[in-house]
Amino acid sequence: MATIGKSARVKGRIHGNEDLTVFGRVEGEVNIDGDVVIEASALVAANISAHVITVRGAIKGDLTASDAVRLEDGARVVGDLRAPRVAIAPGALVRGYVQTAHNGKEVPARRPAAAQVARPAARVAVPARPAALPTTPTTTPTTQAVRVVAKVEPKRAALSIAGGIKAPPPVVPVLKKGSKGALKRRG
Amino acid sequence: MASTVIGAGITIEGEVSSEDEVVVQGTIRGKLHGKDRVTIEQGAVVEADVTSGPLTVAGSITGNINSHDRVDLQAGAKVIGNVKATRITIADGAQFKGNVDMDV
Repeated sequence: MATIGKSARVKGRIHGNEDLTVFGRVEGEVNIDGDVVIEASALVAANISAHVITVRGAIKGDLTASDAVRLEDGARVVGDLRAPRVAIAPGALVRGYVQTAHNGKEVPARRPAAAQVARPAARVAVPARPAALPTTPTTTPTTQAVRVVAKVEPKRAALSIAGGIKAPPPVVPVLKKGSKGALKRRG
Repeated sequence: MASTVIGAGITIEGEVSSEDEVVVQGTIRGKLHGKDRVTIEQGAVVEADVTSGPLTVAGSITGNINSHDRVDLQAGAKVIGNVKATRITIADGAQFKGNVDMDV
């Protein structure tokens, strides 16, 4: 178990076959046949490859893991993430390309099985919604309420796929300068 | 435990610097700057110039050593390089080749 302390600074290549925890600064390249933990106080400017990479600090560089990349609260990463499993926790910041596959291979067998389980569940959820719809007019028989439900429901359904992520701002077409006035004059 | 530990399975090619204690069990090639205590444990290989506070060597160092405190070469240590320090002890069984520069 190796540790780069808070006041320590390493410039160059770090490689080896045991777990590494970084509290300090690392610049260069990290190539570990084990697990790497980048703690909250760490500042890393290096490409990292390891089995499992757990990040709570700041990294500028690509992360490649043979097992998993975990970004926890407080992680700041500018670089690409590549691993069979990538976890980004709330509070983690990332800018880069994310790929949940390793060495060009698609995700191992475990993953598709999980996806198949998830899919029928989604199918069940879809018929459940129309079934719920007729019940709403009975409770609130005004036509307005039905209209509102009809309007809102498809949007909600689309949003729920993203898993509770806030709706993006509406796309407003960019008008050329002066074209607004032309529109006004015409209309 | 020391704040920085370069474990036995780790190799660093480049520069390591630290304000706090450093323990080396693995391999360092390049430079090692320590402001505080530096310990080179048995089995460690340091091919680097070393600056440090108190330095304890049980492993191997190839490079010049510059310590603002004492340097202790323990039995089994192997040092090839010049040593500059305020005090130096060389234990029976330590291998050493180089110049010694102490404050006389």
